[in-house]
Amino acid sequence: MTASQLPTRGEVRSAVTDKPETVPSRGRRKAVRGTQGRAGWLFVSPALVILVLFLVIPILLALYISFTRWTGFTTLFASNGPKWVGLSNYRQLLTTNGLTRLTFATAVRNNFWFVVFTVPLQTALSLGLAVLVNDRFLKGKSFFRTAFYFPSVTGSIAISLVFLFLFQGNGAINKILSTFGITGPNWLISTNGVFWNILSVFGVNPNNPPGWATHTFWGIRWWDWLAGPSVGMCVVIILIVWTTSGTYMLMFLAALQNVSEEVEEATLIDGATSWQRFRLVTVPMLRPTVVLVLTLGMMGTWQVFDQITIFGPNNPSIATPAYQSYAQSFNNFSFGIGAAMAFLLFLLIVVLTYLQRKLIPEDIT
Amino acid sequence: MTVVRQTPLPRRVSGYVLLIIFAIIFIGPFLIQLATSFKTPDDAASNPLSLIPNPFSVEAWKQVLGITGIANVDFPRWLGNTAFIAIVLTVGRVFLDSLAAYALARLQFPGRKLVFLLVIGTLAVPNVVLLIPRFLVIKELGLYNSYGGMILPIIADAGGIFIMRQFFLQVPVALEEAARIDGASTFRTYWSVVLPVVRPGLLTLTILSFQSSWNEFSFFLVANSDPNKYTLPVGLHQLTTGSLGSTPNFPLNMGAALLATIPLAIIFFIFQRHFTGGQLSGGVKG
Amino acid sequence: MAAIAAATCLVAAACGGGGSSGALGSGTGANLQLMIASSGPAETEAVQAAAATWGKETGNHVTVIPASDISQQLTQAFAGGSPPDMFYGSPAQFDVLASSGLLAATGGKVRDPTDFYPPLIKAFTLNNTFYCAPKDFSTLALEINTDLWQKAGLKMGDWPTTWAQLQTDAKKLTSGNVVGLVVQDTLDRVGAFMKQAGGSYQNAEGKFTFDSPQNIKGLEFVQTLAKEGVLKFPKQVNVGSGDEALGKGVAAMVVEGNWIVGDLKTNYPKIHYVVVPLPKGPAGAGTLSFTNCWGVAAASKHQAAAVSFVNYLTTTEQQLTFAGAVGVLPSRPSARAAFIEKFPAQRAFIDQADVAMPQVTTQGFAAVQASFDANIINITSLKPAQMLRQLQDFSNALGS
Repeated sequence: MTASQLPTRGEVRSAVTDKPETVPSRGRRKAVRGTQGRAGWLFVSPALVILVLFLVIPILLALYISFTRWTGFTTLFASNGPKWVGLSNYRQLLTTNGLTRLTFATAVRNNFWFVVFTVPLQTALSLGLAVLVNDRFLKGKSFFRTAFYFPSVTGSIAISLVFLFLFQGNGAINKILSTFGITGPNWLISTNGVFWNILSVFGVNPNNPPGWATHTFWGIRWWDWLAGPSVGMCVVIILIVWTTSGTYMLMFLAALQNVSEEVEEATLIDGATSWQRFRLVTVPMLRPTVVLVLTLGMMGTWQVFDQITIFGPNNPSIATPAYQSYAQSFNNFSFGIGAAMAFLLFLLIVVLTYLQRKLIPEDIT
Repeated sequence: MTVVRQTPLPRRVSGYVLLIIFAIIFIGPFLIQLATSFKTPDDAASNPLSLIPNPFSVEAWKQVLGITGIANVDFPRWLGNTAFIAIVLTVGRVFLDSLAAYALARLQFPGRKLVFLLVIGTLAVPNVVLLIPRFLVIKELGLYNSYGGMILPIIADAGGIFIMRQFFLQVPVALEEAARIDGASTFRTYWSVVLPVVRPGLLTLTILSFQSSWNEFSFFLVANSDPNKYTLPVGLHQLTTGSLGSTPNFPLNMGAALLATIPLAIIFFIFQRHFTGGQLSGGVKG
Repeated sequence: MAAIAAATCLVAAACGGGGSSGALGSGTGANLQLMIASSGPAETEAVQAAAATWGKETGNHVTVIPASDISQQLTQAFAGGSPPDMFYGSPAQFDVLASSGLLAATGGKVRDPTDFYPPLIKAFTLNNTFYCAPKDFSTLALEINTDLWQKAGLKMGDWPTTWAQLQTDAKKLTSGNVVGLVVQDTLDRVGAFMKQAGGSYQNAEGKFTFDSPQNIKGLEFVQTLAKEGVLKFPKQVNVGSGDEALGKGVAAMVVEGNWIVGDLKTNYPKIHYVVVPLPKGPAGAGTLSFTNCWGVAAASKHQAAAVSFVNYLTTTEQQLTFAGAVGVLPSRPSARAAFIEKFPAQRAFIDQADVAMPQVTTQGFAAVQASFDANIINITSLKPAQMLRQLQDFSNALGS
């Protein structure tokens, strides 16, 4: 729960400016400060040492590594250790045509479609579930709330194994589809983009793209950029939507409960229909929560890693930058490239979060 | 409630239908998982959807519980490692995080603002960026492949400090003032006066810490390569992706995944209220 | 102390692998760690038994560590500064380990260092240093399900020996749920067809030659068979490997290595099949070989003992034991006759040793190959020349 538990900007701002509420009387202030100063540092230092030693220093080290070539086999400060190569790793990832750039750009493309589908779906589903569970005329709500939340409690690897089984070529999902007369795809190995598959239904051959789409951007054809998530990636999208909706549902539920307590009674008396009430009162009041869920969702989905280690190794259309950063380092012995990938991903998340904040303000005033 | 209007029957019916459909979607996979763990590999492959094992087989569970040995696989040991590490991490985090959080919430000391900014700053760093860096530091400190290397780096976390600080900020100041006038030391005030008041916060932190340490995967993947120190998530991962997993044994995979889920599920059902409460006060897991 | 060691050495018959390496000593009392990538209990037990026997004879002790993912575990163990004394060294890791100075140069120190198949020695040689003794090797051959063969009206013994015959037989064998030929979608299988067409991965100077016309011809043959629907990849028939495809009866023929023998015996004992050499292409016979070596870490304090252990592990007797337990071929030509006598059904594998092309060991090639492999499944809609062109470009970029 380290990085994923991100406070909202509002919380951070208020937290930073908070004054400690202990305001000792003028006469005693100095003495109290002295003992509090010592105690304060004493209290904070164990955690601080851990954070500095295992978070701050490591990040600086990795930043250094991202400017070097290093196999990971030698000691950091030995003469045969990391070799300074300047911006070479970043150039290989961004500008030099080659496998490294193709790998990274493909991973970013995969992750882009993953985010585009997952974030809206999980937000909509969790809001829908929250509204359902919040309906005061339905019984057995706590059972359903528990049922919807339970997948969020389980571990990522354990649940990925279950999905691996469900989405086998002749697994449970395809069995269900076949009862409706649909022949399911071979989910996990399919690398074709879903948009391609849809086009091919209309007689367009995905292997014969129109001329304009054969131009490349960042080493990848536009045709591939526009292919949509691969069928394999769809499994990961379903998995993540399924496991995160429960958590976000609880956040919406808390917001909805505030709504009903404060406002709803008033509108009830006004005689508004339930749809009007939802649209005019509930939705605006939910806005901050929607923004929070979108932000958390976006930060989380750009970092997807655990599930990829289960689904991705044999299907490049599922690999994400987070996974490639790990694979480059530990499987391909290029820690410099791996570290540079991680920092570019970090930068991307920071920029996107900033843009999102700009485009969707939290409060409409 | 001032006005109680009866919702029309169709709406209630459609509400229940939706709830039940979603309940099936959210719980169904676990039922299939449970049923599959009692199937034979052949039955699991040919009847993946069936909830009734035919024939009923406990072979997978014998392997999961270590009664039938499999080369290189030791689930009971991995379960023990997971429990041990999760407990140590939870105790450590609750103590260290709340200690630091109290100082940041209530104690006036030079550099306090800077420390707090640092805590907030580290919160914003994605986990993924930390994989390689943490590996480097563990390696340089000679902690690689040791329980120490798996535990120390994450025994305090910024998220926990942040949550606890929010709880401490809500405690009335008068409480500490009274204790201080009685001449209690700062630690004593914290320990016997303030901590009991924030018990809900501590419970929340305990549950969140336990859940996240129990499920932790990526950090343990890079911090250790000794099979004797595998936790269940890493062991499960190696079982399915390593050279052991050439032909998947689905009943075994499902049983082993259940082994990793059941202890957490039990704790979840006991402390349900605090789980949900914790998520609301502390943000979300990724 | 030295006297005791010498005395022990005299008593132990197998010491120094027949006594020729007395100068190296066998380091009594050493505690060696050996990390292996075990294919299953049979292999683990075979290695453990060998370790126990040798340990008893020489007064050393060997701890066998079976790794579930040896590539990752070895990488992390080396990076973490605590490598095992000995390990299965793979070609994929050989280059980076040797060039980083982490691998002890023990290849030339073992008994009869020239008594290994030359391609295997070459695979573990860097800058004219023979780093580690080849453990064993495997080659690809054609395995045919004889029941399905007869059911298709084909004559026993009339096995395909040319591409044309392979194509017609595969066509006849394809019907219903049965696919004529199943081949894993990796360079490690389709490369055999490239070799049969006269192609190669690298030339004598080590320059990559993936985009040669011969290689293109080989890959185009694979494409032709795939387009006709008589060749499929395991994923397309919902199995994980060629072994499984043959075992489950979805494939009438597969291209797999000698490991398939043990695999079928354990998992699909009822399958009837034969092993024959891969059919000849336009340029004659050709197959691929895969190998591992007995790697010794440069950081190990027990290198002499390790060399003595390698000597023991590469005796004819031990090589045959592993051949039986694991399904590998002895790496020493001197053990060849005994192998054929003991395992006549596997003759096709070892007979192709001279026409076998080894894997590429260049650092970083694994990732390049992975990007090529990922496209093979879509071969019917791709251009082989383009696939190989990209493979060539990416390979050329390695080390630059």
